[in-house]
Formats: sequence, C-alpha cells, structure tokens
Amino acid sequence: MKLFSISKNRMLINLLMVALSLLSFSSCVKEDYYDNSKLGNYEALWRIMNEHYCFFDYKKDVLGVDWDEIHARYAYKIHERMTDDQLFEVLCEMLAELQDGHVNLSAAFDFGRNWSFYEDYPENYNDSIAKLYLGHGYRIASGLKYVVLPDNIGYVRCESFEDGIGDGNVSAMLHSLATCNGLIIDVRGNGGGALTKAKTLASHFTNEKLLVGYVSHKTGKGRSDFSSPKPEYLEPASDGIRWQKPVVVLTNRAVYSSANDFVKCMKLCPKVTVMGDRTGGGSGMPFNSELPNGWSVRYSAVVYYDQEMNHTEFGIDPDIVVEMSGTDLVQKKDTYIERAREYLKNNR
Amino acid sequence: MPNLCVYGQENSEAKALPMDTLNCFCVEPNKEVLHSSMVGAGSSTVLDTYLSPYDYIGTEIRLQRETMRMTKLWQGRVSNQSFIDFNVAINENRTGNHTEYAGGIRYSQGWFYNFAEGNVVNPLERSASSLNVAAGVAASGYLGAVCIDRSGNNPAQAKMEMMLDASGMVTYEMPIARHRFLWRYQVSVPLVGVAFSPNYGQSYYEAFYLGDYDRNVVFAHPGNMPSMRHRLTLDVPIKRYTIRVGCVAQFNQSMFNHLKYHSYSYDFMIGFNKYFYRR
Repeated sequence: MKLFSISKNRMLINLLMVALSLLSFSSCVKEDYYDNSKLGNYEALWRIMNEHYCFFDYKKDVLGVDWDEIHARYAYKIHERMTDDQLFEVLCEMLAELQDGHVNLSAAFDFGRNWSFYEDYPENYNDSIAKLYLGHGYRIASGLKYVVLPDNIGYVRCESFEDGIGDGNVSAMLHSLATCNGLIIDVRGNGGGALTKAKTLASHFTNEKLLVGYVSHKTGKGRSDFSSPKPEYLEPASDGIRWQKPVVVLTNRAVYSSANDFVKCMKLCPKVTVMGDRTGGGSGMPFNSELPNGWSVRYSAVVYYDQEMNHTEFGIDPDIVVEMSGTDLVQKKDTYIERAREYLKNNR
Repeated sequence: MPNLCVYGQENSEAKALPMDTLNCFCVEPNKEVLHSSMVGAGSSTVLDTYLSPYDYIGTEIRLQRETMRMTKLWQGRVSNQSFIDFNVAINENRTGNHTEYAGGIRYSQGWFYNFAEGNVVNPLERSASSLNVAAGVAASGYLGAVCIDRSGNNPAQAKMEMMLDASGMVTYEMPIARHRFLWRYQVSVPLVGVAFSPNYGQSYYEAFYLGDYDRNVVFAHPGNMPSMRHRLTLDVPIKRYTIRVGCVAQFNQSMFNHLKYHSYSYDFMIGFNKYFYRR
C-alpha cells in the first residue's frame, strides 16, 4: 500500500487554512446598524429615505424640499425621554414635508400619512347617490360593478385595482355591455392596487401598441442616481374583446397610484375622454422598509413619467372639468354621471 | 488483483475487522458508489437590503443528499461528488413583528483529485489510507428566495446563481476499539460565475413584466460574492449500517448593484450512508 506524502499534505492544508482565514476575516458583507433608541430610529428613517426615495430632485424644484435641512431641523426635536407616540408624531411630521401619499410610517397604534392630495379638495363623489345608478341588479366581474343605464349607456364602477382583474373578467363584462352606445368607467375614489390590473383593464380600449410613458429606478444611494428612462408601452389585449365605442373615464382627487396610471393610459386611448377633477397622482412605485423598533416605512422608489417625460406625481388633468353641483346632490343626481351620459349621447 | 472478490479474502489487513463493519463485497473502486442522506436543523441569519436593512434571525431545516464515486481518471485518483443541499428558514426581525421565509436548493457536481491512493469512496476498504486530502472544482447552481410577510412591491427577492467552486476535503480514518470512524471536513468557495440580482431600486415589475434589463445578470467572483460552505461529518459504523453525523456552516454573501446580502447558517446534521456496487 502506497501512502502519500504527509509533509505535502500538511503544506496543502496550511495553505488552504490561510486562504480561508484571509477570506473570512477580510470580506464580511454587513450593513451599518442603528440602535433601537429614539435618535437611532430617527437617523435610520432619515437614511432610508435619503438613499431610496426617488423624488428628491423633483420635490426640491416644486416644493423646495431640502432633505439635509430637514434632517437638521427635526433632529432638534428628538430626545431619549420622548414617548413612542411623540417620536411617531415627529417622524410623520418630517415625512409629511415630502407631500407624498405613498410615504407612510406604520406602527401598531397608528398609520402616518399625508393624504392632502385629496383631503384638501372637494370629494366630488357621493357613494349613496352613485349606488342609486347601480341599483340592486348590477353585476360584478372581479370587483368591476357594471350595469346598463336606461339610456343604453354602460356604467362601470371600478373602486380598486386590488382585485384580481383578468382579461376574462373584462371581456365578459364588455360582452354584456356590447349593445350599449357608450361606456362610463367611474374610478373616483380608486386609491390604486396592482399596476398590472390597471394595465389589463386599459388594454381593452386600444387596438394599437401605445407608448404611455417612461420608467426610471434608482441605481445607487445618491439622490440623483437613476437609470436611463425606459419606455413603457400599453399592448392591446390579445385575448377577448376590445371596446370600439366612446368611453368616458370619471376621475376625482382621490384617484391615486395605479388608478392614476390607469387614467394616464386611458387618456392616450382613442375614443376615451377623461372627465371630472384632476387626479391625486402618486406616480412613484412604493417600496417598504423598516426601522430598528419594527415600525414599517413606505416610500416612492421607482419613477413613472408620462408620454412626454412629465411627472404625474401631483396628478393628471381631465379633458373636461366637472364639479359636483349642489342642486344635483339635493335631487340625488350625480353631476359627473349625468354629464358623462350627455356627452356620450352627443358624441356617438 | 482480481476485479471482484469477497471482501477480506484477498486483503490480510481486513481479516482483523469485525464483520459488522463490512459494507460491501466489491473491490473495484470505480464501481462503488456512496449515497449519503442527512437531515438537520440549526440557526439562520439573513440580511437582504433589497427587503430590509436589518438581520432576520431564526431557525432552519436542512436536507443534504450526496453521491460519491471514484472514476478512472488520472489513474483512478479522481473522485466525483454530486450534492443536493436544500434548506428552508423561518426568521424574525429583532422586534419580532415581521417574519421572513428564506430557502433554496443547491446542486453541485464536483471532481476531486485525491492525494491518497485507493478507494476513498468507501474508506472501510483497507486499500484506502487513513488520511486523505482531496482538492477539486465543482459546478454549482442555486435557486432560492427570501420573502417577508408584508405587502408592497418588494416583498420578496429571488436568488439564482451558477458558479464554479473551488473545493477541498480532508478525510481521516480513526480506529477506536474494533471500529473505524471516519472524519471528513469539506470546504467550498465560489470562484467565478453568474448570478441574478435586481438593480438597486429596480422593481420586479420592471424586470419581468416590462422586460427592462438593467445589470440583472452579474459576473460573480470572490470580490462581490465572498462565500464559504463548510461541512464536518463523522461516519459511525453500527453493525451493518453507517450512521453519519455532522455540522454545517455556510456563509453565503453577495454585494451586487449596491444591494447587500448575507445568509449565515449553522446546522447539526444526522443521516446514514449506503454503499452500492455499480455494474
């Protein structure tokens, strides 16, 4: 039996151990941690936003937001004897400077937000009156409530894009409404949901591939580190029915996030008219992170521009401005729906 | 030497062995195959800054399946190892209000040059020496995911890589009483390959729904993926069976597109070995 050389092996083992030791001691991949103190949580939040938030340049131009100045200003308000409630209040106050509905702080006892994008404006929607138009016999296709109004106009109420709207649902709905002279899609109060669902619904209203905007994400921690904008297209639905008649989309200030994106897409579709109030905006795709104390923070991370590379963070103007009339409200009429019916009657 | 004989008849040293340590009757080394299956549990620490800037710590379960055989390459000194390593971990953040699920499966195929002569697949064969050092390379592929139980557009991160690893192992046969115990230590270090990573702030919606590529396939090397996987096992012959116990320490790390990731695992493992003769 031939044994190998012990000395040769020892040398090999020693070399291996030295290489492993060098590797293990020289290259740990770690992240800087903040301690779970009041100041630690404050610094952690400021840093998460500083490294990930995508609208600093835009908000500086439009609102004069200076994130460094904000850090200095709010740091004075932090001390270790403050309660969690007080810390939460100060942190929310700091985040509110960004005026972004996608920026939230979430704790077990409260949800910090800035919803001024719709709270500061007329609601232009009355749920009780809108329900009178739907009646009791309306149908529901994966969250899309629809009915044929007496003047043969289809009315679709889309309250959210969180439901699993698919091509099959939309096609079945459009099939049911096929004999209608026009269609009203009411997205008032729709605060968003899945972007893919918004695109699925919009894809049934175009026969051609449309350039609807551009997308850009952060590529590093610097406030201006962004990828070059990539075009975003709306493909026509390949399965099912594509609507060929006039459509009116009803909007108000509470149309936000992916619902805002839906309006952006629909505005470019032929035979579609956007009617109502300016949308609420929210063009940044939100990401989530967390603080050392476990509070969750949400922030806009990816920028979505419109077709002409404009921001839609603060909303999209309608083609036709409409305001709810007090007289109509007394008569239990929805001014928006009535104006849309009249428009569709005159624009067949 | 005959190609096939009853173990112990041709080898005078083996005659001293008790029958309960004899696991096979063949001596043609490249025909012999070792199958080892192990299950284990231990601790897990995962950081993925795409999801959270903090470590999530918890427990994990690990399954390993190994097949080893000698080949005819290099005068029969090259052994082949195929390895499947599966783990799943449930971790929590330090305040315990979020749960993370992490796991994946790794498959590797490696070739080792053995500095000792003889059958190192089944060291209970007396043709093997008591100490062996082997060094080689392995092609490995990994598919995994890390998910945190919160909604949003970044709740999960996919892990994919295809690497060429450098690997070394030392085996030492330790006779105690009338039994022979086998220690084996193996370390693997990923050298070069490719890995998937989203860009720093890129959403999966962009990468997969819109098809916007942005450095999502990354060239991986020890500079941006300094990882190591250690494994120490002890084969204990008990009557006609061989029980294998051991521990695993894995340090998987990466830093792609300014996103930091590490997964540290420490597991105690137990399983059994089986020896087969390949016709």
